[in-house]
Amino acid sequence: MTEVLRILIAPLVWLASFSAIYGLHGLLCQNALAAVAGFPAERAVLMAAYGVAIALQIILLWILHHPRFAAPSGLLRFVSRASGWTGLIASVWTLFPVVALPTCF
Amino acid sequence: MNALERHRKLTEIWASDKGFKGWFSTVNHNDLGRMFLVTAFFFFIVGGLLAMLIRVQLATPHSAFAGPEIYNQIFTMHGTVMMFLFAIPTFEGLAIYLLPKMLGTRDLAFPRLTAYGFWCYAFGGSMLIVAMLFGIAPDGGWFMYPPLTSAIHSPGINADFWLIGITFVEISAIAAAVEITVSVLKYRAPSMSLAKMPIFAWYALITALMILTGFPPLILGSVLLELERAFGLPFFQVDLGGDSLLWQHLFWLFGHPEVYIIFLPAAGVISTVLPVMCRTTLLGYGWIVSAAVALAFLSFGLWVHHMFTTGIPHMGLAFFSAASTLVAVPTGVQIFAWIGTMWKGRPELHLPMLHILGFFFTFVIGGLTGVMVAVVPFDWQAHDTAFITAHLHYVLFGGFVFPIFAGVYYWLPHFTGRKRFFCLGELAFALVFVGFHVTFLAMHWVGLLGQRRRIPTYAPEDGWTAINLISSVGSFILAIGIAMILVDVVLHIVTAHRGRRNPWNATTLEWAMITPAPAYTFASLPRITWRDPLSAEPDLAVSLARGEGYLGTPRHNWRETLAVDIASGKPEMHVLYPANTRLPILMSAVTGLFFLSLLMKFYWTVPLAMGGVAFLAWKWVWGLGLRQDQAVQSVGHGLSLPNAATVARSPGWWGTAFLLTANATFFGALLFGFAFLWTIAPGWPPPAWFTPSIFELGVGISGAALAPLAIRHATRVNESGGTPFPTVILALCGIVALGFACASLMWRAPTPNEHAYGATMLVLGGYGTFHTAISGLMGGFLTAQIRSGYTSANRRAAFPIVGLWVKYTSATGVIILLAAHLPGLIP
Ligand code: HEM
Ligand SMILES: [Cu+2]
Repeated sequence: MTEVLRILIAPLVWLASFSAIYGLHGLLCQNALAAVAGFPAERAVLMAAYGVAIALQIILLWILHHPRFAAPSGLLRFVSRASGWTGLIASVWTLFPVVALPTCF
Repeated sequence: MNALERHRKLTEIWASDKGFKGWFSTVNHNDLGRMFLVTAFFFFIVGGLLAMLIRVQLATPHSAFAGPEIYNQIFTMHGTVMMFLFAIPTFEGLAIYLLPKMLGTRDLAFPRLTAYGFWCYAFGGSMLIVAMLFGIAPDGGWFMYPPLTSAIHSPGINADFWLIGITFVEISAIAAAVEITVSVLKYRAPSMSLAKMPIFAWYALITALMILTGFPPLILGSVLLELERAFGLPFFQVDLGGDSLLWQHLFWLFGHPEVYIIFLPAAGVISTVLPVMCRTTLLGYGWIVSAAVALAFLSFGLWVHHMFTTGIPHMGLAFFSAASTLVAVPTGVQIFAWIGTMWKGRPELHLPMLHILGFFFTFVIGGLTGVMVAVVPFDWQAHDTAFITAHLHYVLFGGFVFPIFAGVYYWLPHFTGRKRFFCLGELAFALVFVGFHVTFLAMHWVGLLGQRRRIPTYAPEDGWTAINLISSVGSFILAIGIAMILVDVVLHIVTAHRGRRNPWNATTLEWAMITPAPAYTFASLPRITWRDPLSAEPDLAVSLARGEGYLGTPRHNWRETLAVDIASGKPEMHVLYPANTRLPILMSAVTGLFFLSLLMKFYWTVPLAMGGVAFLAWKWVWGLGLRQDQAVQSVGHGLSLPNAATVARSPGWWGTAFLLTANATFFGALLFGFAFLWTIAPGWPPPAWFTPSIFELGVGISGAALAPLAIRHATRVNESGGTPFPTVILALCGIVALGFACASLMWRAPTPNEHAYGATMLVLGGYGTFHTAISGLMGGFLTAQIRSGYTSANRRAAFPIVGLWVKYTSATGVIILLAAHLPGLIP
């Protein structure tokens, strides 16, 4: 089962963080927060979450490349690393609007 | 024993009952796969006829062919039949028929479950067809948006047919998905590691996992909407704390993955057939597997792109727009791998190849219009126009129907052992190809001119007349083409013209047997160390028929196979299959009674049907019990394996684990719905919160803590030879305590008819109560088994299975109780 898990974990974490940040965005825009030193707090929270999501993926990718945790067989190693990269790219790209767009509009 | 004697003996053991009675008692994947496919193609014809009616209606302005009421039913049924009764079951049928053969085993993991799934599909589909014949078919569009489909705006029984009938059919999808997942992971030829699996098995595995996680949100949505319609629980009514957008979220949380659930198996067919047509091997196996995994996941992050026009904040739109453009990448990876395969090989233009070329051309266009509508401003213009229906047919017809036709022609010799001798198929392909593009290119165009989808008629002044007529003419060319394909297939089946084995010189295992496939599939099981076994060992079929593989000697009238370790394919256990039985059809009939009672509002038969299902399920599992301890069995080549009833992780354990995965998605969707209503729906907070009770919370949580601990202890005691009876009883007490707390939550839910909050509490409590009932039933079953001497330290497989259910029930029970009691406890 760990072989299957290695393949699924990174995209699963992307899916979780993507949904969580979408939900968080909805929550933040429902309940206005005070600005911190002129910088809107919603935006700061979302950007922090974006950073965490990317960091998680980088850690996962590192784990999948680490000889101690990597899959033993060639194909499964390839597929699990490819899905690790998928998770990272998907996190950077799909959550990019956090930094590019006004938060609650 | 020579090959012929072995064939006779094995056939005797594996054969279904003779005559048409055999259809009702067969549990063999050969039969059930064919039955699934034939039924699915019947529904394809039904859906196709409905499509023709649509095009007749739209051919001319001010058409008097059908009034709006009937027209609504026609297009709703067309979409519903095609998506739920044709596309998904076609995948199921193909996978059920092919997988054991490709994986080198004798049947799927749970043969009776295959049969149960088939009958649920057949009965549920019939319900919808009957509704159509009586003119009371669903008419709210295939995605059934409330408030249009709520009791206020659709008071008739039409919408109930959809909600109840489709949920019934969905049971069969979940059953098939559990079946396929466990079969691909555990039921393979010895030594066939994951890396050596045929590519189709990867696609089937990924698709099945997607069904397990994609369908539950729709089942939940249907349950909630039916509860609203039947009992007035206002989940989707804005004035009572509900929100109709919740339906859209739940529906598309299912609906977008659904599109890929349809596409991925078709891609599996292409990845299998294309290399054979090009006389080469598949280029980039690892890339293709990775792309399919990526596609599966990304497709769960796209659902909001169907809701771009609902007024969601811009950043939310941008998330889903970005995700929607990203899916084009893994799709592109697959397309390029296929192009590379063609480049590498020598393509031969056999009929399956023509359909694959048809796929390429059509699907790429569909993908491009898909990226167009992923861009929000364009979608705002094109939303709900014929442009969208044109786009979706390019992907569905291009991405599913063409590949399936390729597969049909490719595997037809396998199904029948005959060969085709007319050129009807080539002509039919030409008509289908031309007809399709004329129909749907025209629809793109008229859509951009502003024709909305789902309109029963239009005026000459709109300026759409000529284009619509062209489209309708095209659709009739298409229909003639499809009819010719069907005629061709029927001719092929009835004309006697024996073909040779493996006419395409394919290299996958399903061709290593006589055709049509014998009931036992393989006379002995191969050892597989190559991805293309038949190119490594061209004479494999002969040596398997001679019994040179594993389990080559029929004995004790056993239907036997073996199961393997997931990753390496190392043989792990010896499996005995159940015999022919009418239990599955009976159980699905009683399941049908349950759904019919809900539909007809005969509420007194509902508990009757539920009791019936419980009774039959009990009988079903009881029959598997073994009275004697099982020694290891020799399976040939000096290998001996333990029986599946004597291991900790039996096939049943795996099946339970994946069923609970689907169940957990259902529960997760329910919690999402609760959170969504709480934060987004207007009309919150509710007039009154649930009155918390420290006593109930305490009893429930203690029960939830006790039960899993006790069952774990019982499992250990049993394994070390002690008497597990007292601790199983203790676990049952824990379950009862948890059940009490959940039932009380249902009972005391504040005014469920007046606010969505109370309604949600009722459903959460109901979920918990239902699961404690199941766990209680299973605990009761286990005690009965212990009492009758069906368990021992050796025969231990039942304990971990019950343990899984108990743990799941306890974990979800705690979440439910906390979600209900905490808001009132925190000031
Ligand atoms: C056999 C050839 C087919 C033709 C000529 C055809 C034609 C049409 C037309 C004209 C519509 C638009 C109805 C309207 O907006 O008023 C439609 C809707 C639809 N079709 Fe098809 N179709 C075909 C095959 C398929 C297939 C194979 C699938 C799926 C696998 C499919 C799925 C759908 C769906 C989901 C809708 C939307 C229904 C709704 O709006 O509720 N169709 N079709
Ligand atoms: Cu979509």
